[in-house]
Amino acid sequence: MTEEKFQEFLREAAQDYHRPPEPPRADMWQAIRAARQAAEAERARRAWRWRRGVFRSPVVRWGVGVAAALVIGIGIGRLMPRGAETQLAGGPDAEPAVETTGPSAAYQFAANEHLGRVEMFLTAFRVDARTGRPVSDSPDQARQLLSTTRLLLDSPASDDSQLRTLLEDIELVLVQISQFAGPEDDEELDLIDDSLERRSVLLRLQTALTGQAGLAGVQGVL
Amino acid sequence: MDEQALIAGVRAGEPQAERQLYDQHVDRVYRLAYRMAGDEELARDFTQDAFIRAFEKIDQFRGEAALATWLRSIAVSVILNGLRKVKRFRQREVGLDAAGAQGGNPRRAEPDLKEKLRGAIDALPDNYRMVFVMHDVEGYTHQEISEALGMQLGTSKAQLSRARAKLRESLAEFAGEWAS
Repeated sequence: MTEEKFQEFLREAAQDYHRPPEPPRADMWQAIRAARQAAEAERARRAWRWRRGVFRSPVVRWGVGVAAALVIGIGIGRLMPRGAETQLAGGPDAEPAVETTGPSAAYQFAANEHLGRVEMFLTAFRVDARTGRPVSDSPDQARQLLSTTRLLLDSPASDDSQLRTLLEDIELVLVQISQFAGPEDDEELDLIDDSLERRSVLLRLQTALTGQAGLAGVQGVL
Repeated sequence: MDEQALIAGVRAGEPQAERQLYDQHVDRVYRLAYRMAGDEELARDFTQDAFIRAFEKIDQFRGEAALATWLRSIAVSVILNGLRKVKRFRQREVGLDAAGAQGGNPRRAEPDLKEKLRGAIDALPDNYRMVFVMHDVEGYTHQEISEALGMQLGTSKAQLSRARAKLRESLAEFAGEWAS
């Protein structure tokens, strides 16, 4: 009898033991999302480092570099109007050209194209998401851009450390957008905004694109 | 979304499914974490960690138990491991403080029943405390407790009984409170 009374008393009195407050649901969710996105980006980075290990061998590096340059070069060649081709080939009046050939130039060209697409996408995404317009295909587009970003990061021709840092930050933002549920997910949108702001991604993108004006001139010729 | 669809969604990395799973279980996980930790910061960390692990390990969920049971076992493991780390850290701190302290014992007021009970529960070994808190405070069944802690049903009952006995001993001076 006394034991039953004690248990009853204990159950009642123990309700005050570390009585929990209201859980900070939104804050915890934000922290969980941020931790998972950081982990995802880290995994991607590790995978990239592992793949980069394959390219350590000079033979493989040169082989892949030459192959990539050939593929991009052929692609560019096919898009070129006939006249421009002759101009680039260097007629009697041709000016001494800025170096626009070889793996490095081809890589710059591809990177520049990609950065332009990313800038357009991020700007449109930001506006659409904030004004409540449908962004249902944004995660898909982000995934496509993410693949190209990772290809560029993987390329042995990517020896520009500034561009590499920018591509890594773009990668993180694209991972976030690829998991974006929709404009009603305010917290997620804040996280994406935060990444864009904290890393000044758009500003750096615009700076990088402006810096590539010389190459853009070549694109115009092409 | 039913449980199967929810699990499939989480496995596919769908943020909506992850959010739904979180919304369904966060209160209970946080309550247990807070009851055990007695500290908002720690309860928050344990809860976050439990969900991060759950999302990462969702591929290992075989569906033999309910999702809530599986999630609870992760939470319990995170909480107990976290408390062990905190205890080790605090012991080191107390050791340093004791080494530095030169004064005599400060006078302390006689604790009332609530304080005494809190101290007595705090003093229980973590496993006993977990069983006691889950059963007598949060209302889990022995079946749920044994699944979460990975122990036999009988062990859960035995640990609760020992925890109560220890508490009764510690509260002996207040026996009149429940005997009346």
